[in-house]
Amino acid sequence: MACSPEAAAMTDGPASYVELAVATNYSFLHGASSPGEMVKTAVALGLSGIGIADRNTVAGVVRAHVAVRDLREAEALPEGFRLVVGARLCFADGTGDIIAYPATRFGWGRLTRLLTLGNRRARKGECILHLPDLLDHAGDLLLIALPGADAGVLARLREAAPGRVWLGAAMHRTGRDARLLARARALAEKAGVPLIALNDALYATPEQRPLQDVLTAIRLHRTVGEAGRALLAHAERHLKPPREMARLFAACPEALAETGRLAGRIDFTLDQLRYEYPHEPVPYGWEPQGWLEHLVMEAARDRYGAVLPDKARRLIDKELTLIARQNYACYFLTVHDIVRFARSQGIFCQGRGSAANSIVCFLLGVTSVDPMLHDLLFSRFMSSERKEPPDIDVDFEHERREEVMQYIYRRYGRDRAGIAATVIHYRPRSAVREVGKALGLSEDVTARLAGTVWGSYKTKHEGERAREGGLDPDNPQIARLNHFVERIVNFPRHLSQHVGGFVLTEGRLDETVPIHNAAMADRTFIEWDKDDIDALGIMKVDVLALGMLTCIRKSFDLMRLHGLGEHTLELDLAADDPAVYKMLGRGDSIGVFQVESRAQMNMLPRLRPVEFYDLVVQVAIVRPGPIEGDMVHPYLRRREGTEKPDFPTPAPPHPPDELRAVLGKTYGVPIFQEQAMNLAITAAGFSDEEANGLRRAMATFRNVGTIDNFRGKMVGGMVARGYDRTFAERCFRQIEGFGSYGFPESHAQSFARLVYVSAWIKCHHPAVFTCALLNSQPMGFYAPAQLVRDAREHGVEVRAVEANHSDWYSTLEHRRDGGLALRLGLHRIGGFREDWAERMSAARAAGGGFTDMEDMARRATLPARALRLLADADACRSFGLDRRAALWEARRMPEGELPLFAAMQARELGEEPEVALRPMTLGEHVATDYQMTRLSLKEHPMAILRPLFAAENVTPCADLRNRKGGERIRVAGVVLVRQRPGKGNAIFITLEDEGGIANIVLWARQFERFRREVMAARVMLVEGLVQRSREGVVHVMASRIVDRSQVMGALSGGPMPPPPTHAARHPRDVRLLPPSRDFH
Amino acid sequence: MVVRPSSAPLHLALFLPWLASERAVLTREAEPGRPFALIEKQRGALRLVAVDREAARLGLDPGLPLADARARVPDLAALPHAPEADRALLDRVVRLCGRFTPLVAADPPAGVICDLGGCAHLFGGEEALCAALRRQVRALGVTARLALARTGEAARALARFGGEDVRGLPIAALDIDEEIRRALGRAGFLTVGEVMAQPSGPLAARFGIGLVRLLERLAGEADLPLVPHGPPVPVRVEMRFAEPVGRTGDVLDAIEALVGQAADQLAERGEGGRAFAVRLHRSDGHVARLLIETGVPTRDPALVLRLLRERIDSLADPLDPGFGYDTIDLTVPRTERIEERQPGLAEPERQAGQDMDALLDRLTVRHGAETIRHLAGADSHVPERAGFLSSQGAPQGECDWTPPGEGEPPLRPLLLLDPPQQVEVMAAVPDGPPRLFRWRDRTWRIVRQEGPERIAPEWWRRREGHAGKPGLSRDYYRVEEAGGHRFWLFRHGLYERETSDPCWYVHGLFA
Repeated sequence: MACSPEAAAMTDGPASYVELAVATNYSFLHGASSPGEMVKTAVALGLSGIGIADRNTVAGVVRAHVAVRDLREAEALPEGFRLVVGARLCFADGTGDIIAYPATRFGWGRLTRLLTLGNRRARKGECILHLPDLLDHAGDLLLIALPGADAGVLARLREAAPGRVWLGAAMHRTGRDARLLARARALAEKAGVPLIALNDALYATPEQRPLQDVLTAIRLHRTVGEAGRALLAHAERHLKPPREMARLFAACPEALAETGRLAGRIDFTLDQLRYEYPHEPVPYGWEPQGWLEHLVMEAARDRYGAVLPDKARRLIDKELTLIARQNYACYFLTVHDIVRFARSQGIFCQGRGSAANSIVCFLLGVTSVDPMLHDLLFSRFMSSERKEPPDIDVDFEHERREEVMQYIYRRYGRDRAGIAATVIHYRPRSAVREVGKALGLSEDVTARLAGTVWGSYKTKHEGERAREGGLDPDNPQIARLNHFVERIVNFPRHLSQHVGGFVLTEGRLDETVPIHNAAMADRTFIEWDKDDIDALGIMKVDVLALGMLTCIRKSFDLMRLHGLGEHTLELDLAADDPAVYKMLGRGDSIGVFQVESRAQMNMLPRLRPVEFYDLVVQVAIVRPGPIEGDMVHPYLRRREGTEKPDFPTPAPPHPPDELRAVLGKTYGVPIFQEQAMNLAITAAGFSDEEANGLRRAMATFRNVGTIDNFRGKMVGGMVARGYDRTFAERCFRQIEGFGSYGFPESHAQSFARLVYVSAWIKCHHPAVFTCALLNSQPMGFYAPAQLVRDAREHGVEVRAVEANHSDWYSTLEHRRDGGLALRLGLHRIGGFREDWAERMSAARAAGGGFTDMEDMARRATLPARALRLLADADACRSFGLDRRAALWEARRMPEGELPLFAAMQARELGEEPEVALRPMTLGEHVATDYQMTRLSLKEHPMAILRPLFAAENVTPCADLRNRKGGERIRVAGVVLVRQRPGKGNAIFITLEDEGGIANIVLWARQFERFRREVMAARVMLVEGLVQRSREGVVHVMASRIVDRSQVMGALSGGPMPPPPTHAARHPRDVRLLPPSRDFH
Repeated sequence: MVVRPSSAPLHLALFLPWLASERAVLTREAEPGRPFALIEKQRGALRLVAVDREAARLGLDPGLPLADARARVPDLAALPHAPEADRALLDRVVRLCGRFTPLVAADPPAGVICDLGGCAHLFGGEEALCAALRRQVRALGVTARLALARTGEAARALARFGGEDVRGLPIAALDIDEEIRRALGRAGFLTVGEVMAQPSGPLAARFGIGLVRLLERLAGEADLPLVPHGPPVPVRVEMRFAEPVGRTGDVLDAIEALVGQAADQLAERGEGGRAFAVRLHRSDGHVARLLIETGVPTRDPALVLRLLRERIDSLADPLDPGFGYDTIDLTVPRTERIEERQPGLAEPERQAGQDMDALLDRLTVRHGAETIRHLAGADSHVPERAGFLSSQGAPQGECDWTPPGEGEPPLRPLLLLDPPQQVEVMAAVPDGPPRLFRWRDRTWRIVRQEGPERIAPEWWRRREGHAGKPGLSRDYYRVEEAGGHRFWLFRHGLYERETSDPCWYVHGLFA
């Protein structure tokens, strides 16, 4: 066989090519490579440039922009490499795809408005465009009609965008390429537009074709095997080097040259989206910086007196100078404006995160931590080296945040304010499920692999997981699944709205970025996420929702109503009320902000906080960062004084106590993010910017390479300075943990304030606190049953839901002895409606209490369903009816009729034969209470079952604290929580009985033996050894577990025959008790 | 002593508590020795619909999400719930019951109710009947719980919940709306008997008249008629002759009349026949059978008659009427629903389809269904997978081939060489077109060519296909040699990217 090399030789020579049709994985399920991958490959292949154009979106262009910037900074970007950004417009009216690149900033605005138009007229996630829309928005857009366009479309495009239209041609190895090219050439000539070469790349390298096929199958909801010709015939849609493109287009070299010409006409880059802040907050006649300084100085004088302390003046000057230099004044003023509005409406709010490092934020009322009192690291918030604007996050009451958001829309207009997007990525579970489906695996197999209980895909080796699910990891099908899942994880899947990240612009927002409809009515969001906005330097404010703020506000409202004084969030913290710390030191913290979880509760008695700063540490220490960095025990020992604080010293000539300044407050143990960063700066010679880069590398990118660089740098730096290597390694490990899970001290400071305030209310006004907590649900860690129980243990009288006394929300009632009692509200009754409750309250206010059920039904115009629910909740006692009698009465009113008629008819039903109903037992009452209101005030179910368990020698939970360590005991109770935290060596179970709770620890190896019992039991009996820690925390180390759920049957009315296998049961009957909180 | 009159209603209920899992065992879907559950997606999650005995013993109940079940029993096997298969098995049990009494009704998903009125004595009494039935059901591989009562509903409740008297059953045994059952429980009633003891007025006012009626039926004071189960009666028509007929013409006339009657019956049912059987009963007792089958359900008398004629014509032994036939009957053993089609405006097109159907039926009658094949397109880029021979019936995975571009020659030849034949080719690297090739001891000089059409292998068919070993791509060229012959050649493997020395093949010849 002989081959002639002449064809190859013919096309030799320098070629220049810009691939202008590149789809990334932001063309959801159409592209198989990330924007960064595309950019890097294009550079590596020697392309002169690349044009990113995803399907009706510009969501991925910022990532490409950042990739180019990173390469440039690493000096790995060839001279003259161009990134141009645009979108591939896909039309709903049958017009073929057209790629649009804005040539100027104006053109970018036209493109984003065009996309916004398409997005806004479609449902979430879709974009409906018609050709005339493009013709209306064609200003400064360069348009490439993709192969297949007809003469009519070309003519219309040329009319709308003269001199800015190209016809694309591709050599896709279809077997007809030469014919198609000749035809396109003729068409282009006739239409008077140049022909331009494309490869319409869908992935970076040919090896990605299988991945592309899998994505296509997922998109079409078919399996790869069935998708047939919906998949592409070959692997040619990858980026190709200029030489290869030149060879393909040997017959038409001018089409190749045209790519450079088009790219050369583009002036626009994303850097031009320089942000301008809204001007609204600046009064007429003022400059923003001047107005900001005016506000800050006024506030400073109010706070610190006419003569500012030196430190305050220094801090203020430093920050204001930096703000002026970076031109951020408007940004601070805008945040101030939002916070001021919330305050004016009585909505509680408080800044969180690193903003609390700033005295300007403090003086503007954005944050509540006074940097004068605490040395905080300002550069964590803002520094001259950082290119992105600072990040200010503000928490608002969760029930009233919407008011703040609506204010922002009102004040800045919907065309200038928008919510940032959150890119929803494929998570391992969704990836396994969808890839599995595309590969034709059954749902059962994928469900098993997705491992839906306890443990995420990543923490375990895939093989192990497969084996656990009873599948062979070497099975080719499973191996193939893993192969694709690994590649698809972290692919963007769709866009969604961010929880509260607002973006505000001075000009029209839709000329900066396209806007989408959100799933929620009246909500819109932009298509860039936080990282994109940061990267472009666009300002955002996080308007977040915090349940505890609602709870505190409601507490203060209740206190005002009941004459308990006026309070604000600025409760006198300096007072450091010992009663509050004593309560916390006992671990008595149910309902208290942040420190109510079991881990926090266990830590409290060990840490024994006595002052505010202890709370700051408490908030920050029970986090994966400090725990994984093994910082908790050294801290506790040193604080107790059983171990001397130790400050490792560097070798001379470095100052020997340089670490004391960084770690002094925490006995030499790094606990906060700032300390870790400071450590890198002080002990390893990092610059501010590098330290920040280190934090960011951990938090956002999780890029193994980058982290390793930092590790080498930091450990090396510390060792070079003379520190012990193990100490250096430990510090680094901790920073790793911090990346996503650590708290900055400023944040802990902000949160610790809420810890104190909520603990203070709980300590001094437990009835108020519980009432406010119940009325702010859902929030916090505990179910209402535990909150009510905790309140009663603190001496609060809790009164049952009652038709004649309850409002919708829970309320406080005055007791004869002058104290307050908590009256549960009608909101506790599952399925009851707020408007029924309002009508009841109104009727009672107008005409006094209801005399009987008929009276109530008539005056409050309640439907039969409402009456039945009230009766079933045992809320009719004031009519002299217990639950059973009330239900018998209520059911007499026919359902589904107008309440008025029903009531009249009921009276006309007249006398009927007496029916003797069996009295309801206490057990039945309790079981029904749980079903209707998820709690019972009558008795704890375990109290009724106590004789049964006492006969089996079961110790009440309350007795545990009197038992000696090592004693073998049995406890039983309702399962509240099952948890398998961290590495999963132990399973934690919390049981509750009528007197208290028991903390059970089960080692993982035992777990396999008792798996069924652990996972299924609602009532559990545990046998094991008592273990006491030095701080007096008692655990039971379980050796045997028995599922005793069936005893619940004994509650609800005597022995019942086992239920038939096939009978469907109502979930309410199954769930005699509310489900436990399991953390999978 | 109360003597039950023989005409007293007596009902037998069967409850098959493990029907679904036993079905899975019978169909060998279930792995022996491992607990299993039948699952279905409900409310967004895979949930257990039924479990086997072992899984039930481990505490797994229907309704539980599969994930939770696996958390408790990690080696639980999960099989797809197949209600149709369960129903088919239930129907077998129903038919079995039909051996004892004609009045049998299925009580899906897992029960049967029989009216034994006056039947029991035929089988040696109720107990003997029950024992026999239980044994026979057991032989099917199905466990049944049986109960007898005056009414079907009482028997049903007893079969499900056990016991002798419905009054002693828990209120869960009341087959009534869940909400009402719960309300009865709330009112303190534990057993059916306690509810029955109440005056009906207050009950009706609170729980609806439906409850009162149900209680009456359970107590045997009222009964619902059973809608017996039975296979639908096949369409059957016959003609008896006073004088045996023997002339072919007369026989055909008779058949024509029968076909017409059968067609009327089918039309009433909204069905068409897929098979028609004619029996010709000769006066000496010999019976000749004619059977025809059609590709689509039909009740067009002309068509059926034509097919029957074809059948008669093609018989190896021609019909021998002997002394004549005294009875001719026609049955339609297989029927299917016919969708009434409104004639569209595109009448000729419809006609074409029907003509094809009719032709296929005639060919089938003459030559047998297995001899008729047609070419169908399949959805694949790979040429040898893009078409297959389909037998008559409902072909699967058929689709159209891509038509050639307007005014262009076809992309692919009509016939492919199987397997492709290797040829020696001279071509430019890396992927230049072929210049000349040797095939069958001749050198063919190529004067025109078009291509390549690149077709990559179907990586998913190969074990390592996803991981960089998908196999070799092909570059197809349409070529014309100097003498005007046209070939379809392909290079096997991309030069350098896949192989250093690609081979060439001829895969087909263009007409």
